[in-house]
Amino acid sequence: MRKKIIEKRLGEIFLPISFFLGILVAWEAFVFIFNIPEYLLPKPTEIFSEIAKNLSSLLKHTGITMLEAAIGFLLGNTLGFIVAVIFSHSETAEKGLYPYAIALKTTPILAMAPLLVLWFGTGIISKIVASAVVCFFPILVNTVKGLKSVDKDYLDLLKSFSAKKHQIFIKLRLPNSLPYIFSALKISTGLAVVGAIVGEFVGAKEGIGFIILTSTYHLETVKMFAAIIMSALGGILFFYLINLIEKYIVFWQKTENSF
Amino acid sequence: MKPIVEVKKITKYYNSLHVLDEISFDINKEEFVSIIGPSGCGKTTLLKIISGLVKPTKGKIMIKESSVETALKRREFGLVFQNPVLLPWRNALRNVELPLEILNYKGSWNSPRKLLEVVGLKSFENFYPNELSGGMQQRVAIARALTFEPSVLLMDEPFGALDEITRDKMNLELLRILEEERSIISTVIFVTHSIPEAIFLSNKIIVLSERPATVKEIIKVDLPKSRTPEIKYSKKYIELIECVRKLLKKD
Repeated sequence: MRKKIIEKRLGEIFLPISFFLGILVAWEAFVFIFNIPEYLLPKPTEIFSEIAKNLSSLLKHTGITMLEAAIGFLLGNTLGFIVAVIFSHSETAEKGLYPYAIALKTTPILAMAPLLVLWFGTGIISKIVASAVVCFFPILVNTVKGLKSVDKDYLDLLKSFSAKKHQIFIKLRLPNSLPYIFSALKISTGLAVVGAIVGEFVGAKEGIGFIILTSTYHLETVKMFAAIIMSALGGILFFYLINLIEKYIVFWQKTENSF
Repeated sequence: MKPIVEVKKITKYYNSLHVLDEISFDINKEEFVSIIGPSGCGKTTLLKIISGLVKPTKGKIMIKESSVETALKRREFGLVFQNPVLLPWRNALRNVELPLEILNYKGSWNSPRKLLEVVGLKSFENFYPNELSGGMQQRVAIARALTFEPSVLLMDEPFGALDEITRDKMNLELLRILEEERSIISTVIFVTHSIPEAIFLSNKIIVLSERPATVKEIIKVDLPKSRTPEIKYSKKYIELIECVRKLLKKD
């Protein structure tokens, strides 16, 4: 039993890493053999030496972007959760406001970003807001669904204890919605980073989006790749952090298909 | 003595679907009554009407001479469903404590710990529902239903989802628990579609007809008061099975 678990873990870690290494080797060979210029596709070794050389600066910019994403994530998810709780208590609010929530979701964040920069400036706030906007919808939809999808038997059971509405909410609906909430949070981790970077594209003096944009202007493709990799690492780290928290909080849920 | 539960001409329509038709019967204190009938005849609906969770279209339920709404507020019913309906984020003990928590009760009702011991789960207090077998989960559900000392225990096919061996064992366990906790609970309404189960457990069997269900017959089970598995080989038991089977077949 234990041995099997170890084998499974090994498969989860070992396989992706070996594939990754394989792709890097193929990439390196491809660029070398076809003599592709650096500004189009740099070699992985060049990218990694660039990362190593500018690590502190890259980390600083990644840190800023991740900070924007994290604050936006907290803000968007908190607001989305609160609105979902209001929706679950008032059908009028849900019916009246849901179309606007959908409108907010369907408007591309790229289209809104310039406006956000105009309103909130080129500093960190416009990026936080962009992140919050993209995080808002998944949590709203999932929380509403989670709060509502309570099995009728459970409701009958609590009614037989003459439970009050707020007790049903706290003891039943809220914990029942946790798996739904966490699946929204996991989707949001990636979206939050996207929101922050899009905000930085429009106007910023720092952050990973700013690095990507300026390196395009100067055809510094190596630097751009380095920045892309850093943003990806930030996103992955963020995702696994939430994944880890989920495993502790929603421990009763089978987490085999947790993506 | 007045009956504990009076079912008076209960009729139920779901939209145009006629489910129950003028069902009447009484249940006395210390009776174990089974409701049996063809599947889909509305047994569960009847049980839900008795417990006040579903409103009848016509008719009335009286619990200890007051309305079912009052009875629900007074928490006269302990419910056990076909599924255990345990909260997966609470361990066995915390599931049994749930009713007391909701009632904010700090008095001297049954200790959840003791009830878990009674249902044979003393060493499983800290186990979560997904770590317990189906039979064990149902034991937790029974313990939970007894915490606030309801007047009537309502069981809706509680062992229907279990395999036959476990089911037989749980039948014996239920009788043992009821015997041990006689001071707490003595009246049971038990919905089942298993004829042997109904006869083995009950003092009285209410046989319902096909939908729209009417009371076809009320059978008194005159088997010895304390039931042992040996009863199942007695002539009387086999006759009763025959009798109920014939009643259900006639439709």
